[in-house]
Amino acid sequence: MGKIKDYIHRLFIPHEENNFRAKSLHTDFLTVYLVIAFLMTMVFKQASLHNVLGFATDISVDKLYQLVNEQRQKNNLSPLVLNSSLSLAAQKKAENMFRENYWSHYSPDGKTPWDFILGTGYKYEYAGENLAKNFLFSNGVVDAWMNSTTHRENLLKKEYTDVGYAIVNGVLNGEQTTLVVQEFGKPLASSFTPPLVQAGEPEAKPGVAEKKIEQVAVQPKINAFNFTFNLNVVFMAFLLLALALDFYFASKFNIIRIAGKNMAHFLFIIFVLMGLFISTIGAII
Amino acid sequence: MTKPFSFHLKKELTDHLFDYLLLVTAGVFFLTLLNLFRGQRLIEFIILVSFAFFYIVWGVYHHIVNETLHLKTVVEYILIAFIIIFLLKIIILP
Repeated sequence: MGKIKDYIHRLFIPHEENNFRAKSLHTDFLTVYLVIAFLMTMVFKQASLHNVLGFATDISVDKLYQLVNEQRQKNNLSPLVLNSSLSLAAQKKAENMFRENYWSHYSPDGKTPWDFILGTGYKYEYAGENLAKNFLFSNGVVDAWMNSTTHRENLLKKEYTDVGYAIVNGVLNGEQTTLVVQEFGKPLASSFTPPLVQAGEPEAKPGVAEKKIEQVAVQPKINAFNFTFNLNVVFMAFLLLALALDFYFASKFNIIRIAGKNMAHFLFIIFVLMGLFISTIGAII
Repeated sequence: MTKPFSFHLKKELTDHLFDYLLLVTAGVFFLTLLNLFRGQRLIEFIILVSFAFFYIVWGVYHHIVNETLHLKTVVEYILIAFIIIFLLKIIILP
């Protein structure tokens, strides 16, 4: 026990035994971190955890379906049934959004969500649509929808019985993104004309076409991304902790050394984490 | 009496105010550029690499000014910069 305590002491607290610098920040340790980070990059690439456009996301239909039904059950509503026609409509809607380059419930040439649903042969009594883009994780998408009144209403609408999803990657308004389309419906019992339709929110301004569309359905099984992401977070947290402890004790003991007190490393990592946050902010309509 | 963590932070910042202002300005510039080019993964990665290189240069400058430049210090800046680049590459540009 004493040995472990000594080792942790050497690892994080600067004193004469570690040359007044936390062992976890010595160049040999930093080199090991670099090798681990490099290997993680290589393993991630080799394991084909991304699709052809190079997006790294952990959004899957299974997870979205499960999370949405959990929310419905929490609100004493019956779970939605995954419907292949609505999923096909969602897929066609997503493809159309990339092809015509718009971020809206309605296409620039006037196509509505209902056109895509009816186009698959699904005749509805009620229907709705939620859209999301740029999220890394399925729970981020569902949380964002639950935090928006109109999307939440769609998710928790008691009239809906079916749901369909599409998760498609592509370039939208010059931005490489993962688009999530969710179509809701309740099939028509008789043959009368559909009386009511609903969308997540009113029409947004369509974007200007810039690039040729290239898209592919996201493979649902990329949980390894989640693992790698968490490993990254742990790695960075360890580095920040080591820097913070070394800074604190070096200041407390008034240690003067050529390496300084890590303030710059600290700032650099904080800015990079903020940058990561900016580049992965999701949007919903 | 033990001084709080914030005291040490403040002292370090005020002792090298210009240097840290330069680093923070570059950091804000980095975040602005990332926001401008959001979604363009290759450009985002180039911005990250540029910021990492600036950080290494800043480190060398900072230690020259303080007359504490040593090869080991430069290696430390390079190692930290590249660790972050590799870790972030997985997310931004897999």
